[in-house]
Amino acid sequence: MSGKTTPDETAPDDWSPEVEELRLRQRDAHGLGGAEAVARHHERGRLTIRERVEHLVDKGSFREVGTLTGQGKYDGPTLKSVTPAPYVMGLASIDGRPVAVGGEDFTIRGGSSWSGDRKKGGQGGFIEDMAASYRIPLVNLIDGSGGSVTSINKRGHSIFPGVHGFERSVELLGKVPVVSAVLGTAAGGPAGRAILSHWSVMVDGTSHVFAAGPPVVERSLGQKISKEDLGGPPIAVDHAGTIDNRVDSEDTCFAQIRRFLSYMPSNVWELPPESNSSDPADRCDEELLRIVPRDRRKPYNMRKLIGHIVDRDSIFEIQPTYGKALITVLARMNGKVVGVVANNPMVYGGAMDVKAARKQIHFVEMCDCFHIPLVFLVDVPGFMVGKDAEAAATLRDGMRAVYVGLQATVPTYTVVIRKCYGMAGMGTTEKNGLELKIAWPSAEWGSLPIEGGVAAAFRREIAAAADARQRERELEEELRALASPFRTAEAFGVEEIIDPRETRPYLCRFIDAAQGKLRTTVGPKAKYGVRP
Amino acid sequence: MANYEVKAEVSGSVWKIVTEVGQALEAGDTLMIIESMKMEIPVIVEQGGTVQRFLVDESAAVNEGQAVAVLST
Repeated sequence: MSGKTTPDETAPDDWSPEVEELRLRQRDAHGLGGAEAVARHHERGRLTIRERVEHLVDKGSFREVGTLTGQGKYDGPTLKSVTPAPYVMGLASIDGRPVAVGGEDFTIRGGSSWSGDRKKGGQGGFIEDMAASYRIPLVNLIDGSGGSVTSINKRGHSIFPGVHGFERSVELLGKVPVVSAVLGTAAGGPAGRAILSHWSVMVDGTSHVFAAGPPVVERSLGQKISKEDLGGPPIAVDHAGTIDNRVDSEDTCFAQIRRFLSYMPSNVWELPPESNSSDPADRCDEELLRIVPRDRRKPYNMRKLIGHIVDRDSIFEIQPTYGKALITVLARMNGKVVGVVANNPMVYGGAMDVKAARKQIHFVEMCDCFHIPLVFLVDVPGFMVGKDAEAAATLRDGMRAVYVGLQATVPTYTVVIRKCYGMAGMGTTEKNGLELKIAWPSAEWGSLPIEGGVAAAFRREIAAAADARQRERELEEELRALASPFRTAEAFGVEEIIDPRETRPYLCRFIDAAQGKLRTTVGPKAKYGVRP
Repeated sequence: MANYEVKAEVSGSVWKIVTEVGQALEAGDTLMIIESMKMEIPVIVEQGGTVQRFLVDESAAVNEGQAVAVLST
């Protein structure tokens, strides 16, 4: 017998059989929960996770990670099929920039958790690790209810809360933009992750979010309530502000995610992307001269006012249906991203209620985190007053808004449109920087509005007058004459008073000039102190 | 014909009702004015319709979210 071996004629000379098995496994992964489950999912008006990713990201840019994860079924050594893990994720691009994107596959066990050697998504999953490690934005496409008590059976013990915790999710909030879209029913951990985001969105008619769903509520409190009444958009977005924005379809949702990310840097070590603006920086709209009524009791349209100042078609409003006494928008000025915080005189005269305070806190922190200059368009008579406002802790949340504003270090521009009063007014200036306050001729300010202040400070004098109402009016007129903004400008108590029409060129010039400071102060923002 | 309620966005008191029963309104029209925080806050209809009836009188106190009129499309 010679030392030579005879080649096996039947053995392949390459790796085709294994590649064939790879194809089989990939085919099963792309089959999701099977044709029937996918059809049911579509009937509910929802896209599958793979369709969602495809609709969201740049065409052909998705590079999946963990495609083969799942539960294999074998006949002896031969693979028959694989039930995929109920989470799809990977690297993709949006507008040419890399993003980490992932979401639950509802067609497999309702997108519940899956136990492999390493988590794909959810708290501390690969997708969060990738966003943190590569410093790229994370998009969570949430469609799952998290853990189930049935996991106790599998493991033989119960899991301590936080073993698969939110620590990575929390870390991400200081490093990269995180967007969460609620695209089905989110409860438990997935609901928590929806909140641990810089911006969140949900879809009318198909999505709900709550700490626990109707069965748990009925068992705990005896309340029978529908999913829609418990956590549909009217509650979760409009009333509670749990989720930021609501949209009418999944496609609108993906368009809005792309839009939101267009204002964000990829991480806190970079500045937001600048665009070439075709809108002249020196545009002066005539309408601004008459937009504020001379009658102080009459409100005006602050959204229109914002539109006259920022780059055309650059507005993206955050939380438009919650806390309506305040308007928060991302926009551009001469191509640079800015965050506009504007009081809305159409709702409570722009007074800061508890919802407006919460809205301002999150928006200011987000802009500060991503080096987005803030423009305050101020028309605030103060904190909201009254029994309901006190019972809602307006004072505490209002002071939190002031506290957060005073900690921000991003360049901030204060434009006093009309009223700037009291503690709510104090949170609108840049105390850690130039403190540039400019005002329109319609501006007025003080520790509290003259009307209420006169009644309180001159109570005895007014009561003693023959015509109390007349005396109150006289006192108001006397003080109002002294409250002219020009007198404060004489004392340099406000840095400039401008023709309202010149607001845009004035701000554009200063925002352009602040780019040097912004470029040299990137990185994570230190947090200290205790929020009141 | 479908009826729908118009709700007040703010608490306050009804200062002036500036429309009448039977009047046709377009989206964006002012239905009434509520005095709140010393401001005249218009109640603006979000969709057009005909005023069927008012649910509040002038000078009545209203709460945020309270229905103030019924319109029909």
